[in-house]
Amino acid sequence: MAHVAEFDAKAAWDGGQSPFRVSYGKMMMWFFLVSDALTFGGLLVSYGFIRHKYAEVWPKAENVFTHFPFIEQHLPLAYVGLMTFILIMSSVTMVLAVEAGHRMDRRGVTVWMFWTIVGGAMFVGSQAWEWYHFIVGTHVGGPEGHGGALRNVWDPATSSYVKQVYHGATMAVNEYGVPQFANYFFFITGFHGFHVFSGVIINLVIFLNVLKGTYEKRGHYEMIEKVGLYWHFVDLVWVFVFTFFYLL
Amino acid sequence: MSEFHDDYPHYETMYNHDEAYGKKARRTLWNVFWIMLAITIFELIIGSMAPGHGWTGTLWLKVLFIGLTVVKAAAIVLWFMHLGHEVKFFKYIILLPYITFILYAVFIILVEGVYSGYPRNVTRVDQIFIDQQKELKSHSGHSGGDAHATEAAHGEEHH
Repeated sequence: MAHVAEFDAKAAWDGGQSPFRVSYGKMMMWFFLVSDALTFGGLLVSYGFIRHKYAEVWPKAENVFTHFPFIEQHLPLAYVGLMTFILIMSSVTMVLAVEAGHRMDRRGVTVWMFWTIVGGAMFVGSQAWEWYHFIVGTHVGGPEGHGGALRNVWDPATSSYVKQVYHGATMAVNEYGVPQFANYFFFITGFHGFHVFSGVIINLVIFLNVLKGTYEKRGHYEMIEKVGLYWHFVDLVWVFVFTFFYLL
Repeated sequence: MSEFHDDYPHYETMYNHDEAYGKKARRTLWNVFWIMLAITIFELIIGSMAPGHGWTGTLWLKVLFIGLTVVKAAAIVLWFMHLGHEVKFFKYIILLPYITFILYAVFIILVEGVYSGYPRNVTRVDQIFIDQQKELKSHSGHSGGDAHATEAAHGEEHH
């Protein structure tokens, strides 16, 4: 279009056009994402602080997340690796949907949006599975497996407190290590998982609009770009959660 | 096109392109994906064999992990989110505030965080956690490490 070539960054500040060369909706999506990224940044920084404070007793992720569906084997980080792959993959299908939208290719947008939603749903399901195993814990539990917590339980037979092996995790106590480990796991992956969940819902709404032909009528597929920004942001956060929670 | 701002340029369609350009764009995107996948697989292999001591517990490995993460993040923001294609001023207005605040947060946590390490600033509860965990570790005879192999043996003793 003509105005692209004519764009003059200095003259743009005189009014009548956006000096950022983006539409209002897209700009506000970016601003929202910056604020959301600051929230996640704050969470991860405080996680780093607490982890450093209890460094000597902090559990190692390789010893906690060792399960894989249908395989009775010790596979450290394998499942979270698969989850990461699914989310990166769905990020790629999203960006391909955006690219198809730039060509006004309705069929392409439909197909790639569909796979993005499938990938997102798979990720949310995987996270539920991971939470389930984290909460239920190992059959051994307590300190034998991971050096975790023992509960003091009153034993009437001997009239004394006995220490009991603890299985799984709650906000107060977990078998893996200090309570803060489970607290941060629940809060950070939960907050991220809720973002993924709402992303899937938003993608679904936009997908239905694509099927209805709303954007074909509107003359552009910018809405795909906006939800795409949100979806990539979810992937971006996971990259950091993955590193700080599972790798380091 | 839109009834709301008739005199403005149509930013919504500004990035539309034809099939020839699209083909090139798709190739770039897939290349970015393969690079990110390679980085993730490399991180996973190193991460899953790292028991946290010896060469795997060293600072340079952690710095490498964080560096690779920042590379991946940059790839997502610049190519997947198309921030690399936006005008310069828009890039700055998104990136500079964020980078400034995060660097400040990291700086302040590194500098002021040592406060919590002073013995007189450790709360009673902190000490209970740490003592409890230490006692359990010595009680169980092995600290993490290859937990699964010994898990089965201990399980039989108890059940």
